[in-house]
Amino acid sequence: MTDDSNGATAIAGPRVNLLSVVTIGFMAVFIIGVLVLLLTGLSYTDYQSIAEVLGSKPIRAAFRLSAVTSAATLGLVVVFAVPVGYALSRYRFPGHVVADTIVDLPIVLPPLVIGVSLLGFFKTPLGQFIESPRGLNLQFVYTTRGIILCQFLVSASYGIRAAKAAFDGVDRRLEDLALTLGCTRMQAFRKVALPLARNGIVAGAIMAWARAVGVFGPLMIFAGAVRMKTEVMPTTIFLELSIGRVEVAIAVAIAMLTMAAIALILIHSLAPGRRWWGV
Amino acid sequence: MIKVDGLTFHAGGFRVREVSLDIAKGEYFVLLGPNGSGKTLLIKCLCGLIRSAAGSIVIDGEDVTHLKPRLRNIGYVPQDYRLFPHMDVARNVTFALRMHGMSHRHALEEIAPLVEMLRLRPLLDRSPIGLSGGEHQKVALARALALRPKLLLLDEPVSALDDPTRRDVCAELRRVQREFQIATIHVCHSFEEAVMVSDRAGVMFNGRLVQTGTVHTLLRQPSNETVARLLHVENIFSGRATHLDGGNSRIDFAGHRITISQRCEGDIRFVVRPELLRVSPQGAAGADCIQAELLRIDDLGSYARRELEAGVRIVAYTNPDTISRRFQMGRRYAVEFPPDAIHVLSE
Repeated sequence: MTDDSNGATAIAGPRVNLLSVVTIGFMAVFIIGVLVLLLTGLSYTDYQSIAEVLGSKPIRAAFRLSAVTSAATLGLVVVFAVPVGYALSRYRFPGHVVADTIVDLPIVLPPLVIGVSLLGFFKTPLGQFIESPRGLNLQFVYTTRGIILCQFLVSASYGIRAAKAAFDGVDRRLEDLALTLGCTRMQAFRKVALPLARNGIVAGAIMAWARAVGVFGPLMIFAGAVRMKTEVMPTTIFLELSIGRVEVAIAVAIAMLTMAAIALILIHSLAPGRRWWGV
Repeated sequence: MIKVDGLTFHAGGFRVREVSLDIAKGEYFVLLGPNGSGKTLLIKCLCGLIRSAAGSIVIDGEDVTHLKPRLRNIGYVPQDYRLFPHMDVARNVTFALRMHGMSHRHALEEIAPLVEMLRLRPLLDRSPIGLSGGEHQKVALARALALRPKLLLLDEPVSALDDPTRRDVCAELRRVQREFQIATIHVCHSFEEAVMVSDRAGVMFNGRLVQTGTVHTLLRQPSNETVARLLHVENIFSGRATHLDGGNSRIDFAGHRITISQRCEGDIRFVVRPELLRVSPQGAAGADCIQAELLRIDDLGSYARRELEAGVRIVAYTNPDTISRRFQMGRRYAVEFPPDAIHVLSE
């Protein structure tokens, strides 16, 4: 076995054997399936539609809003996922199992339910206090802030789950040892646990971001689909489809996929020793 | 000077009770005991990773019992070394100094003598992944010594190494420990390891420190049967002692009678040192001899182990060169029990 810089291992020895043929074969089938889907989509559009998408001010605004809100959501997810994942991994407290389960709930909830629940919450006295100019004066319903909140609630669980798994994989005795070498608990976390869990946290953040970019249902309910205001790329696709412009909707989807692919390659290549072409 | 007094603590369902121990500056103390006896827990409690329920730990006059691990100035080398895999060897070794505010460059200068002493220079840029067991051990030792601690705790530091490497590393540990003149507690369950490195040793059993002394004292005068069995002492017998005049006693066991130069009375357990037993065809005149049948001889390299049957199984060690020529299996021989070969167990 040989180690790469991520700590993952590559199997030494002859590359062509039953195991490699079977596993790489499955991978090829999956990748071909995704590519066929993309190419089929491409066949429904044309250069004119792509040019229209690139030149359309509202669509460019939706593109920009998707990039900004998903980046903000990514930041929020990391801010929450690291401490929550660490707490779930390291501490045992009454209600640990319940907390662990609740963290997973947004994954299994239909996203629409999150949108409906948010709308309901902001009708409660607490929600109204948050939005009211006499309270916190933080508007969420039908605002960019609302988009970020929806994206965060739908995607945070992925980040937290991955961060917990990453911290589970770090031997806590390394942190204990760091205490004997002059660290406080916080320093042991920063200098030992966090760097060792980094790859898992990054993987979780990628999943969370990918999920956030694609959020649609709860946004329609909670943030609406107001052109140039709360329209993000998934809502653009829906709006274009709803007026029968399939080729434009697909062109938007291709633009969205391209943005996602570039972002994913960038994030993957951030891992030490990795290059975008994957060697 | 390290003074541990009545240290008691719980870890999970296990309880370590009233451990008292004094270790002088520069003394190398080996803590022996079977798995699950509480040795590692005691080490963890000393370095502050487990809270004590009672008792005290005093290092050079300062009570550190309730101090956090980072404030105790204790170096700790855990059983599996636990080098930080995301740092190269240099950063591992300078870790403690950096955590105390020193820059990596200054820390490297600070540890230069330690690096030379442990011959770590060629390893400094390497990742811990791929180091050999011995190299791991040296890096972990250097990391623990970087802050010049007052007490060094080594938890089974050579248990993962092969025999030749173990001997080399034990010699290295002793050399470094002497150089630093640092009080050291070395946990292991190998008596041979204790012989190689220790000034003094202690035996833990079931959460208690049951006996301390030099390794020779432990081996020749185990305080009780538990210690004797832990140290693989052979020839543990039961008998009935009768006090005689002049400070001697007579022991009747398995139909035999021997005399010892100790005062004791009643039912006793005693050990007989196999290396002091003499086996001969006739036995010396006037000595306490037992007639026994020779069952087997094992040539163990530096000595031969003979097993004889005389109602009880008696083991004698002797020079391996002469054994096979002079002794025949199944024949009866005289086993001579010199009084100084016998030690009566106190409990």
